[in-house]
Amino acid sequence: MLVLKLNKFIGAGIIFLLPLFGFCQKYYAYVAAESEDEVSLIEFDSKTASAKLNIPVGVWPAEMEGPHGVGVSSDGKHWFVSMAHGNPYGTLYKYSTETNQMEGQVKLGLFPATMAISKLNGLMFCVNFDLHGDMSWSSVSVIDPETMTEIKKITTGSMPHGSRISPDGKFHYSVAMMSGLLFEINTLTLEVSRILDLDENTSLSPDDYFSEEQLSSNSLGGNHQHNAQTGVKPTWASPHPTLPILYVAGNGSDEILKIDLKTWKIVDRLKGGKAPYNLDITPDGKYLVASYKAEGSTGVWNIKKGEEVARIKNSTTVTHGVAISSDSKFAFISVEGKGGEPGKVDIIDLQKMERVADVAIGKQAGGIIFWKKAM
Amino acid sequence: MKKIIGLSFLLVVLFSTTLNAQNSDLTLKASLSKTVLEVGETVKISAEVDNEKGKAIKGAEFQYFSRRSKVVSVDNNGNVKAVGPGEGTVFIIYSPGEDKDPLRESITIKVNFPPVTKIEISNAPSKVYVGSKSILNTTIIDKSGVVRKDLNPKFQSSDASIAEIDAFGNIVAKKAGQVTITAYYEKISSTIKIDVTSAVANQIKLTAPSTEFRTGDVVHFSVSALDAANKKVNDLPIYFSFTGVSDDVSSTASGLIKQDGRFVADVPGIYTITASSGSLSNQMTVKVQPRNVKREVQFIGHGNVNTKHTSDFWVWEGADGKDYAVTGTWGADGTAYFWDVSDPANMIKIDSVQVDARTVNDVKISEDGKICVISREGASNRKNGLVVLDVTNPRDVKTISTFTENLTGGVHNVFLYKNHVFALSAGRKYYIISLANPAQPKVVSEFELDTPGHAIHDVWVVDGIAYSSNWSDGVQLVDVGNGIAGGSLEKPVQFASYTYPSGANHAAFPFKSESAGKFYVVAGDEIFPYGLNMDRPNIAGGFLHFVDFTDLEHPDEIARFEVPNAGSHNYWIENDILYVSFYNGGVRMVDVSGELMGDLYKQGREIGWFIPADPNGYVPNAPFTWGAQPYKGHVFMSDWNSGLWSIKLAPEKPENVSIEVK
Repeated sequence: MLVLKLNKFIGAGIIFLLPLFGFCQKYYAYVAAESEDEVSLIEFDSKTASAKLNIPVGVWPAEMEGPHGVGVSSDGKHWFVSMAHGNPYGTLYKYSTETNQMEGQVKLGLFPATMAISKLNGLMFCVNFDLHGDMSWSSVSVIDPETMTEIKKITTGSMPHGSRISPDGKFHYSVAMMSGLLFEINTLTLEVSRILDLDENTSLSPDDYFSEEQLSSNSLGGNHQHNAQTGVKPTWASPHPTLPILYVAGNGSDEILKIDLKTWKIVDRLKGGKAPYNLDITPDGKYLVASYKAEGSTGVWNIKKGEEVARIKNSTTVTHGVAISSDSKFAFISVEGKGGEPGKVDIIDLQKMERVADVAIGKQAGGIIFWKKAM
Repeated sequence: MKKIIGLSFLLVVLFSTTLNAQNSDLTLKASLSKTVLEVGETVKISAEVDNEKGKAIKGAEFQYFSRRSKVVSVDNNGNVKAVGPGEGTVFIIYSPGEDKDPLRESITIKVNFPPVTKIEISNAPSKVYVGSKSILNTTIIDKSGVVRKDLNPKFQSSDASIAEIDAFGNIVAKKAGQVTITAYYEKISSTIKIDVTSAVANQIKLTAPSTEFRTGDVVHFSVSALDAANKKVNDLPIYFSFTGVSDDVSSTASGLIKQDGRFVADVPGIYTITASSGSLSNQMTVKVQPRNVKREVQFIGHGNVNTKHTSDFWVWEGADGKDYAVTGTWGADGTAYFWDVSDPANMIKIDSVQVDARTVNDVKISEDGKICVISREGASNRKNGLVVLDVTNPRDVKTISTFTENLTGGVHNVFLYKNHVFALSAGRKYYIISLANPAQPKVVSEFELDTPGHAIHDVWVVDGIAYSSNWSDGVQLVDVGNGIAGGSLEKPVQFASYTYPSGANHAAFPFKSESAGKFYVVAGDEIFPYGLNMDRPNIAGGFLHFVDFTDLEHPDEIARFEVPNAGSHNYWIENDILYVSFYNGGVRMVDVSGELMGDLYKQGREIGWFIPADPNGYVPNAPFTWGAQPYKGHVFMSDWNSGLWSIKLAPEKPENVSIEVK
């Protein structure tokens, strides 16, 4: 008993003294540079950020393959990157976080983009964004990340994006940007369980939406398929870590939609910056962070109050992705830049509500994912 | 009875597969009663999860999936079905929930090939002559109807003294009589009867238009079998072969001979052509001289671009009669440069445009020299598409319009033809877009293949035919106004195609050879066997495939041009000369006059080459030539690391005067 108490004392002392000895936490995030065919590993020591590694990705040297989405396995041992362009299909690659060497790949659909892994069954869900022009049915690919096998393509709508999974791992959420729809997929049955029309705030029956007549039609869901007529043009869906709510980025309507997952209804519309694109919620559930693509800024929302508490100018234009540290202290924001400008990763201190660091990486910084916090 | 039960238990243990996966206090067990299946057979996975006491959890639900669904499928209840032959894996996942990691297990299943049910013999001769040789073609088909190219039949002759047959299906007729030839695989067989008749021919006549020619010249040897009365025997199979001695003692007298008598030699030397049938044969010896087409290549000028990579280019005569060029840029800031190249020795950058893109991969100019279309990739709003420019005054280029409809994913290549843009959409198809009003481009049609996973890389249009390069779907010829297949710009009609095994078809250029009376389409590879390093010199791979399309229904890949340790990219043919960029191998100029066959590089058809190394390049001293265009007596080229270059081929020297090339 005495030993235990002594250990506790020593432990508390070490924790108390660590900052005095200059020890500090380091944060790591992976970010893709879509027009550089690179993935960078960002290291941030609470003060300064640097690109610890710039890892060339892709296999087709003379073409820009476009790494778009990145993900990290739940055990942190692997990172994944979706390459948008192929011949014609894109590919998902799996890398070791220890060696940053490629360990596997699997071909998916047209322009695979955002991804997430269900902790319930370990399966990965990656949207096939297909922004190639023609408005047509696209899908969410289900992948076994261990063997890099595509198990199924689940048809959703036009230009699916924003792949995120509920905290319990049971449901996958994505939107179809040009359909104006939110999709809920049951991660066990691998079927669409609910659809929400974000323009009309009405629930659609998956049976009707995916009827043979609709699927065989190019009109993409007939009456429910708005294509370019959707006003919301949703680009992201982010479920809250503890509450039964989900936020959707209304890229076309300049609003963030709050969805009640029990009633499957839009219950609030948050008016923030222009063209919200990606979202993330702090693990403690307090803040929602949104990238405002069209104005090059990042918004931080107090979830409880439903108020934007900060809008922070980014270091360059075209704000893209959001990833938040596991301790809820920092938001890592990817910012694309334009033309030949470098992409950037901005780090926002969520206590000070200010940008505290930025680092230049390859062109068109896009998909970003927090990896780990370490000493 | 006890013994039988005991034995049965033992067999179950021995022949079933049970696998366990553990997660703290839970264990997933999954098994199949058999893991070797026949096609169509079904078997159910037995799965359970045991708790820490080893007791199965009631009502546990599992997810099942197959890694190779073409071999085995599995439904939501764990029923496995053998779909096709091969080896597949099914996975079983149990999700315990409550923040516990999922449990997973896998079972590998072998599905046997179905039994062979049929052997078909084609091209079987009903009659052969004593001493002659014939070859049987066989096809083995299994129960599922699949042609089994992995299996080889065995052959048997009913009387080897009349006709022998070897392991490869070659029949040698020995004496007159009737013989039955059997092709068999295991217990399945097929037979044919062959009449062997006495030889009636007693000589083979072999002729050639000349006994002296050059390397690379395709010589047509004529052959006929004659009987004692000097009458032709038409159905006697005759085989061609050759031997030779090279003039160069360290070289092999290589070449290519076809069984219709066409022959081409690679290197100078003495060659002997043999035509034979059984014991009859005739030979003809010919002298092959060097081709001697080498010409001096003169460097003329260089327009340096060393702040970014350069992509494609186009040279044209402007509306003012002067000569201009446009070059694109790659992986940079969306800039296209305009040049005055009226003096190729002093090419001057006169204007530039910058669009919202990272790569301007392709640039093309209209026939009247007034419109330029550039492609966009990497636009910041991900709406890529085209930009239409007014280049009436290339010193003051103006943007007329941008066009993104159905092209947002990125346009890699474009072509301008009769006021229409052919624009690739995301590497999947091309749209034909009218520029009748260049301020408002309008899609008039599209062309897309319907093959699984089809893709496209480039399109080139000549005389109303669009030649698209479609990777594994090869070269596609589409009537867009020629009339050969009733197509038009508004209604493109595909009428011919050719694919080749590497699936690396990246470019295509038509070549109507007046000197040979042939219609070739040159299909080019793009391959990077060693990857691409942005900061260092690189080595590419791949070559040009010459496909004889004279008979549109039966295109024939007849020749190749391949440069060692370099790879093909873009090219042009004019006046029987091929101008081809070979990335790190620079620009190669190749004599493609006359009929083509075999390995054009080995045949000494290369006229000259130029490798544009620049110590001040974007990557110094790293030639990586993108394309070449002959224009008004000069050859222009763009290089990925150093911009725009011009060179000139020196005049031809008199024949058989060799030029020393360093």
